[in-house]
Amino acid sequence: MDINLLFKIAAIGILVAVLHQVLVRAGREDQAMMTTLAGLIIVLSIVIKEISTLFESVRTLFNL
Amino acid sequence: MSEVIKIIGIGMIALIIIIVIKQYRPEFAIYISIIAGILILSISLQKMGEIVTLIQSVSEKAGINGKFISILLKITGIAILTEFAVSVCKDSGESAIASKIEMGGKVIIISMSIPIISSLLELMINILP
Repeated sequence: MDINLLFKIAAIGILVAVLHQVLVRAGREDQAMMTTLAGLIIVLSIVIKEISTLFESVRTLFNL
Repeated sequence: MSEVIKIIGIGMIALIIIIVIKQYRPEFAIYISIIAGILILSISLQKMGEIVTLIQSVSEKAGINGKFISILLKITGIAILTEFAVSVCKDSGESAIASKIEMGGKVIIISMSIPIISSLLELMINILP
């Protein structure tokens, strides 16, 4: 779970950056914006899932 | 010893990735710093479990009121979470939001420690002639 999660997000980031550049060069700025937003939302869902697991573990540990 | 190496490794790798990605997509840098923080916190929280059980057992032996210890542990948990959020906000440059979160955390901690304060005052009143 731990380190490959970091690499997964880095890979998505680089992929989105490359896609953005390619689409901008191809003259489709709006689709470039779409792919960037899509990448952001995917990574946001992963991050939110991880934050919820962290909060859950802190809650159970300190019985908040 | 291996946890320390793992924590330092995660920190360094995240740092390098952030430096690489910051030039192309700065939004992902914040995500990677959050994920690195979560990973390091989860590793240290596994160790925290033993400390919590030790504190509880020692406090029972010493006869300290269990309610106070549970309040103290709750306050520690809140402090850890708010500090996590504050440092993430400060990292991304939003110090206004960070100070609001900090203030909210302090208010919640004080409101939770009201029973302790009131029992302390009663104790002092009993002691004073």
